[in-house]
Amino acid sequence: MTVNELIQSGALQTFEGGTITADAVSGGTLVSVNPTTLKVRIAEGVAANLLLLHTKPMQTLAEVELAEGSSLSMGDVYLAGSFADVKVSQCASSECRMVVVQLGDANVTYDVALNGKEAASSLHGVFVGADSEHVVFDLTTRHNVSDCRSESLVKGVVSDRAAGEFRGLVYVAQDAQRTDARQTSRNVEIGNAAHIITKPQLEIYADDVKCSHGATVGQIDDEAILYMRQRGLSEPMARRLLLEGFVGDVVSRCEAGGELCAALAAEVESKLEKL
Amino acid sequence: MLKVTNLHASVGEKEILRGINLEVKAGEVHAIMGPNGSGKSTLASVLAGNEKFTVTAGEVTFEGKNLLEMSIEDRARMGLFLGFQYPVEIPGVTMANFMKMAVAEQRKFRGEEPLSTSEFLRLMREKSAVVELDSKLTSRAVNEGFSGGEKKKNEIFQMAMLDPKLAILDETDSGLDIDALRIVATGVTKLHTSENATVVITHYQRLLDYIVPDYVHVLYKGRIIHSGDKSLALKLEKEGYDWLINDHKE
Amino acid sequence: MKEKDTDIIEQLDNSEYKYGFTSEIETEYIRRGLDEGVVRLISQKKGEPEWLLELRLKAFRHWQTMPMPTWAHLNIPEIDFQDIIYYAAPKKQQPKSGTIDDIDPELKRTFDKLGIPLEEQLALSGVAVDAVMDSTSVKTTFKEVLAEKGIIFCSMSEAVRDYPELVRKYLGSVVSYADNFYSALNTAVFSDGSFCYIPKGVRCPMELSTYFRINAAGTGQFERTLIVADEGAYVSYLEGCTAPRRDENQLHAAVVEIVVLRDAEVKYSTVQNWYPGDKEGKGGIYNFVTKRGVCHENARLSWTQVETGSAITWKYPSCVLMGDNSVGEFYSVAMTNNFQQADTGTKMIHIGRNTRSRIVSKGISAGRSENSYRGMVKVAKGADNARNYSQCDSLLIGDKCGAHTFPVIDSLNASAVLEHEATTSKISEEQLFYCNQRGLSTEDAVGLIVNGYAKEVLNKLPMEFAVEAQKLLAISLEGSVG
Repeated sequence: MTVNELIQSGALQTFEGGTITADAVSGGTLVSVNPTTLKVRIAEGVAANLLLLHTKPMQTLAEVELAEGSSLSMGDVYLAGSFADVKVSQCASSECRMVVVQLGDANVTYDVALNGKEAASSLHGVFVGADSEHVVFDLTTRHNVSDCRSESLVKGVVSDRAAGEFRGLVYVAQDAQRTDARQTSRNVEIGNAAHIITKPQLEIYADDVKCSHGATVGQIDDEAILYMRQRGLSEPMARRLLLEGFVGDVVSRCEAGGELCAALAAEVESKLEKL
Repeated sequence: MLKVTNLHASVGEKEILRGINLEVKAGEVHAIMGPNGSGKSTLASVLAGNEKFTVTAGEVTFEGKNLLEMSIEDRARMGLFLGFQYPVEIPGVTMANFMKMAVAEQRKFRGEEPLSTSEFLRLMREKSAVVELDSKLTSRAVNEGFSGGEKKKNEIFQMAMLDPKLAILDETDSGLDIDALRIVATGVTKLHTSENATVVITHYQRLLDYIVPDYVHVLYKGRIIHSGDKSLALKLEKEGYDWLINDHKE
Repeated sequence: MKEKDTDIIEQLDNSEYKYGFTSEIETEYIRRGLDEGVVRLISQKKGEPEWLLELRLKAFRHWQTMPMPTWAHLNIPEIDFQDIIYYAAPKKQQPKSGTIDDIDPELKRTFDKLGIPLEEQLALSGVAVDAVMDSTSVKTTFKEVLAEKGIIFCSMSEAVRDYPELVRKYLGSVVSYADNFYSALNTAVFSDGSFCYIPKGVRCPMELSTYFRINAAGTGQFERTLIVADEGAYVSYLEGCTAPRRDENQLHAAVVEIVVLRDAEVKYSTVQNWYPGDKEGKGGIYNFVTKRGVCHENARLSWTQVETGSAITWKYPSCVLMGDNSVGEFYSVAMTNNFQQADTGTKMIHIGRNTRSRIVSKGISAGRSENSYRGMVKVAKGADNARNYSQCDSLLIGDKCGAHTFPVIDSLNASAVLEHEATTSKISEEQLFYCNQRGLSTEDAVGLIVNGYAKEVLNKLPMEFAVEAQKLLAISLEGSVG
């Protein structure tokens, strides 16, 4: 089942936007389809699951606040060319795990602010651009206070005449000692007209920190293709399997529940087939 | 099964194989030895169809077919298996998924029905026992984070899964401690039948204690300069290659 | 720890900028400010041909239309470009053909004091020097020895006079006047600098070096360097720079152009030690420099820089890898202390096929300084099999400074393999404790650790200068850790 079919089937509890407070531990996933403005607050100590689905070109402003000790698993999925601003602010000891999948012409800006000590943020993202799509993935992680952790890994695949742009910034304020921040951008270009731009940036004002970033641009590993062909796989098959593998470890982090995750994986697969 | 006649191959301008002749019949085990840079790994790569090398002369038939005309994957599907010296890591692609596709492709090529999921899983379990491969490894990405020994075991596991007619094992013993060597070698021996054949490329005699070869060939500067039986390997171990090589200096 | 901090900061305050003295040299100035008249006057003073004056005027007119760039991570106070003297030269200067005896003894003393003797017999063996004071070149050593091999090494003014075809062919061919604000300014008012031509197939037998000294107050230095390595040639070139200690900021806006023709190789090393300003951030040189080289087929250009001076540094020595199989390298150590600011890095532009580049940048920030790496790796559409590896590390000493990394990777070719890695760290207390336990003072330990950290880059310098650079790092850093 595709994501759209899943939405239409009515199997999901969805809401359109507005202000929502998650104030009790709930097992299910809050799903919002094509919200224009959305404010979500996760109350103290609560663990919640949120999924934003963007199925048509539109503009979204989402603000998510994690109160002290809360935890959120959040998925953000773009099947079409949307513009979105997602702001996450985290209080002390909160934990936010984000999985972002951009399969369309999306232009998305994430701003994650770690405002309380010992807050942790992880973001795993993937974007896939085909034809002449232009995908923008902009991520700023702000370590405003000490003792926070952040980790991000964004993988991009572009083919044909598509362009993919990753802009990442890790900002560490002067008092944000003992920050542990890592940011990685990995990209694969396919064909001879694809375009990758990646700008992983560090802006650091504290000295007792562990910060690193890495960025790579490359292609599909020819050695791996050879290896797989030696085991009997055709070249296109090996290529697709590698690409699925490349983005798969991001997509598999989706915590939105079985049906949704399966639908999402299928969307990614069918997008990769177009490359 | 395999007949190599006057095979010449080069990489770029450089000729590496300079007239190889070799015949391997069903049920046989051949060992190819030789000093570094003699062309052992190149021979394995050329037989497997690695496009990095250009065949400039000679013929290779496999099961009566012209091997050199076939793609890498078709050679594999026909039953030619190459155990790599340095198995590549393939992040994100699980062993299970990889093997499932490989087995399915082989069956399709041979006109056999695809395996059901449960049949496939049973096969995986059965074959991983052959090389004492930790079943957890099959749920991990191909070779990713595997130790040297695990990678080599994994090669033999895949060999077991694909049940090749001809297995060429390129330095499968390199980098293995004695326990891993025993497991790998025993695995290979268990898989050996009168229907298939094995070509072992190695530096050291010690592997041949476990996998007893019918023939030992010495490769030097792109040619097989000497062939013999198991005792040749022992002699090489003791005396080195000099006594052979001296006759072939240019 | 805190107590130790203040101790050490005090010590740091006392560490001297060794080259802060002023020389009493009679200097000729032109009037303050910048207009077409000043541009014409500079050109006239240098007796330049018409085409060069035209180029200057074109550049000046273009400059007037340009805003000062603000994209760098720098806080640049407003600069009044009308309050600068654009030409100042030691008065008693003789025609350059003159012998050493014709040079003002005070000038000689100045360069002696800087460790750059102008007498060839005293000079560092194997190094030919062009000494530039304020707006003019004072003396170029070993010219005759080099001339035997057909190597031209002289001041830019002489080159304009004696080798006009070469200069006209290559000047502005790598850095156009319209390239940026400071390259336009430089093209309009550049006074002197070095010119170097290595003929086909010649391996330059000695290091060529230019020493830049700002002496006059209220002036700016705008030098222009042009290096042409003809097919198959090789040269290693080094520049050093110092300036007196003054409360006012002084502007240094240079342009360096390098043309590396087929199969040639150029190594360009810089030890930049302009006056950095005092501990309150008062004074110091604004170092706004455009450096770029073009590599033709199979050519190689390697930039090595050790940047310890200047109040503000804005420079990005770059490689345009135009020819197939060409190679570009950038090795940098940038150290900032007190209120210094540096925004430096490189651009590697891959245009030819099979081009390779490598970037190693080591930033060290101490005091209240701001240190940024800014780099771009661009792979053009036709640049098949381009390879780049970048490693950019930052070391923070103290919690009042900043260390930033702003790389851009832009690939239009799917056969490119590009990697960038960056880390930020500090000198750990364990490392210091370990060294202390073995009897090293904290200062020595810091010097040792920083030098170890920068070693990969320092090793790329010609030997004589590697030692100097090491000392320089240690002095600039003295005691900045607690």
